[in-house]
Amino acid sequence: MWLLLPWALVYGAFFVFPFLFSFVLGFLNYNPLNVSHTTFVGLGNITRLVGDADFHGALRNTLFFVIGTVPVTTTLALALAWLLHAPLPIKDVLKAAMFLPSILSVVVIALLFKLFYAPGGALNEALRAAGLPTHGWLTDPSTALPAIMAMDVWAAVGYYALVLYAAFTSIPESLYEAASLEGAGHWATFRHVTFPMLKPAIGFVLVINTIRSFQVFVEVLLMTQGGPLGSTNTLVTMLYDTAFRRLDYGYASVIAYAVFILSGLFSVLALRRMRSQTPVQTRGVPA
Amino acid sequence: MRRRSPWFVLVMAGLYVITASCGKKSTTEGTTIHFWQFWDMAVVTPIIAEFEKQNPGVHVEVEQLTWATGLEKIQAALASGTQPDVCELGSTWLPRFSYEGVLEDLTPVYQAERDSFLMWDSAFYKDHVYGLPWVQGSRVLFINRELFKKAGLDPDHPPDTWNDLLDASKKISALGNGVYGFGQNIGEKYVLFKKFMPFAWGNGGDVFDANWNVTVNSQPVLDALEFYLKLAPYSLQEKQEVLDQYFKTGKLGMQISGAWNVKNYKIEAPKLDYGCALVPRPAVDHGEHVGFAGAEMLVVFKGSAQRDAAVKLARFLQAYPQARAVSIAAGSVFPASREAMSDTTFTNDPHIKVFVEQSLTSRTPPAHPGWIEMEDVMDHAVEEAMYGRRAPRWCLDDAAKDITTIAAKFNQK
Amino acid sequence: MTRFLRWLVLVAAILLMAYPLAWMIAVSLRTPDGLNLRYYADVWSSGPFTRYFVNSLVVAAIVVTGNIVFCTMAAYAFARYRIRGAKLLFFLVLSTIMLPKQVILVPLYIEMQRMGLIDSYWALTLPFLVDPFNIFLIRQYLLGIPTDCEEAARIDGAGEMFILFRVVFPMLTPVLAVVAIHTTLTNWNSFLFPFILTNSTSMRTLPVGLALLSQGAYSIDWGHLMAGAVLSALPVVLAFLIFQRRIIGGLTTGMTR
Repeated sequence: MWLLLPWALVYGAFFVFPFLFSFVLGFLNYNPLNVSHTTFVGLGNITRLVGDADFHGALRNTLFFVIGTVPVTTTLALALAWLLHAPLPIKDVLKAAMFLPSILSVVVIALLFKLFYAPGGALNEALRAAGLPTHGWLTDPSTALPAIMAMDVWAAVGYYALVLYAAFTSIPESLYEAASLEGAGHWATFRHVTFPMLKPAIGFVLVINTIRSFQVFVEVLLMTQGGPLGSTNTLVTMLYDTAFRRLDYGYASVIAYAVFILSGLFSVLALRRMRSQTPVQTRGVPA
Repeated sequence: MRRRSPWFVLVMAGLYVITASCGKKSTTEGTTIHFWQFWDMAVVTPIIAEFEKQNPGVHVEVEQLTWATGLEKIQAALASGTQPDVCELGSTWLPRFSYEGVLEDLTPVYQAERDSFLMWDSAFYKDHVYGLPWVQGSRVLFINRELFKKAGLDPDHPPDTWNDLLDASKKISALGNGVYGFGQNIGEKYVLFKKFMPFAWGNGGDVFDANWNVTVNSQPVLDALEFYLKLAPYSLQEKQEVLDQYFKTGKLGMQISGAWNVKNYKIEAPKLDYGCALVPRPAVDHGEHVGFAGAEMLVVFKGSAQRDAAVKLARFLQAYPQARAVSIAAGSVFPASREAMSDTTFTNDPHIKVFVEQSLTSRTPPAHPGWIEMEDVMDHAVEEAMYGRRAPRWCLDDAAKDITTIAAKFNQK
Repeated sequence: MTRFLRWLVLVAAILLMAYPLAWMIAVSLRTPDGLNLRYYADVWSSGPFTRYFVNSLVVAAIVVTGNIVFCTMAAYAFARYRIRGAKLLFFLVLSTIMLPKQVILVPLYIEMQRMGLIDSYWALTLPFLVDPFNIFLIRQYLLGIPTDCEEAARIDGAGEMFILFRVVFPMLTPVLAVVAIHTTLTNWNSFLFPFILTNSTSMRTLPVGLALLSQGAYSIDWGHLMAGAVLSALPVVLAFLIFQRRIIGGLTTGMTR
């Protein structure tokens, strides 16, 4: 159908073609400066990747990043959404304030936090005022990645909280009435009424958050460039470096596919988890 | 409710085509040379205009690259066969390009001009020259004169030797109150070896020797690293911006940095009482004041349809009047020409004078095609030593091993 | 009592979240001669900023409009007609999001280079004109709308285009609001591709301009940097504050479908 034409054209030209090109690149030894010297290496890039210590480090860091941020963001978002779900004064202001960090560009946030974490920046100054020791948050290999993770949670939580809040508002009141009639307390209500109804939304949040977290790159590029001592070297950071500084596009493509497979795996796992427990169905309001 | 009709779509499409075309460039007839460079267009345009005036029938299309992504663009251009004729390339990258055989051989130009210019080193590959030094920037020692006075040091006699440097750092550090003696870069890429190598070089050591044997773990380099670590207790170890911020606000006694600060301080810290000095040498009777220099080179890509015109443009740009104009407009670099040494524009300013003097004994990184990867190894080794993870000796030994592995990939050197 | 406590905790949490933003503004206003807008004036008059702003605006407008029109067309086709490969669409959508953009960065760049489109509005808009994620959103929404109105119009003899744009389109307002917002946000803040696909100052967008401001060979004053950051963020924040109800409402409707 010709209705599909614009989409097909754009998608085909600007995604499918480059996608295929980079897929083929994975099996080649491709150097942009000397395209005529390209050689076929088959699975060579893949075997090299498996044994690469830098890749292991990047993988470790990225997994740490994903596992460290996604559950935290989701839980905090859930908590905030729950807190919001009641008639409260100045609710609109609170919603807006909460959403604000997520509409800022990554560049703005990275820049802000680069200075925020620096000596003389807000965090260290606050610590100093409280009489606590200051720290080089981004220059200490053991705190650099957690610092970026905290920043990431801060930036994302508002958006996900609103998504979950929206899901909260769609839960029919009748379910709550039924629960309270049966004498359920806060926690029981949450476990058996609220949470199951939120499953789809939480699933959505988990998947999107996981996929995005696996691709963390711009923050690292602007704040630490993978240092100190490679503690913030993530998969995509390594990809970028491999392609544009080491001029090894083939190897970089293989790293990209590692990211693709990993984020796919984690997303599927997350979805499975959310789907495995079927929501408790009420059979109508008891008389 | 909004109304939509097919006409709307067509109109939007039409508008799209019109506005989008606004960004495209136009071409002219005659000989056209494409020149890619990193400076602001305002800096280069008058120079190009002069070239076109002197060479009627030749038109130069200039494209400005950014430091952050310029390299990716050059790579993609080469991959797609759309590279420019003349291009500005940093001294760190030039050897790799020479190795790949994508550059025109400019040895005849070198033979004609060799004595007039500095910074040829990175242009050499297997006894041929592939680039022309254009502008360069050395790093020198910045000192805060006020802090010197407070610490009982003489600002008119900045540290000359390593011991002087250590002594000054100690005394300024002792002032307390959030003041640091020296500034050491840490936690970011592409900077560390620039700050450390001068000490190794000044001590007579280097990553390679004249026959390209790996000497990064030789005694002179090890001594330099051990000295560098001695400065640590009296140093602020942070990223460049933080160091600059601290220096600007008078909380850092000394740091090694570049000429962009001179330009910057005039606007942002006009009252800052600072001085510049040559990088300290190991001792009065031993070693030299060697600095790190980043040189911008001009290259001509092979396969250029206008080879002769391109070489002509490159030589024109390199010539002193043009390089000088670029330097003055950019404010953070100097011509790679020896004529700059006696140009009062540069030598009259007490700070700039030091930069010009330092460039006589400054060095660019080893001209090895694998340098980019080796630079990471160097950064890592020094960082590891700075974090106290391992003793300097082992850090350098590992670096030597890794650098040898990388060099083997480029079997020619 | 618990209600008040909940409110208190919420306010405390939000204050904590707002702290870095408040600090950013404070730093941008704190000049050596008291609190004023000097840094903002400096950054704005550093020339390119106005241009960056205009570029971001133009690009965002084009991309959002393109998405609203073309994605609706595609989503309508997928929702209303039997098309082989609806599952394929879903897979394609997901895979586009899952693949790190950096993979197609260089092939895309090479392609654009060959087409002569680098450093133009084309490069900044063409690849982003039809976002599969939006097609997915609109399609989901469409599936939830009964086809009665369309059937009625068809019986009356209306053409397909008329049905799509005069009958269906107006019904899509809530999800299109989400599409508009989502696309505007991702596009306005988009950094990597504009970064790579443009060379000259005249073509840069705000995030690129800001990043370059902070990465230059020069050490820049924190005050200037933060002023630049605030300026970059201001348009989106203002737009958000104005259209807040719509945005959050749209998020609600769009997501619960």
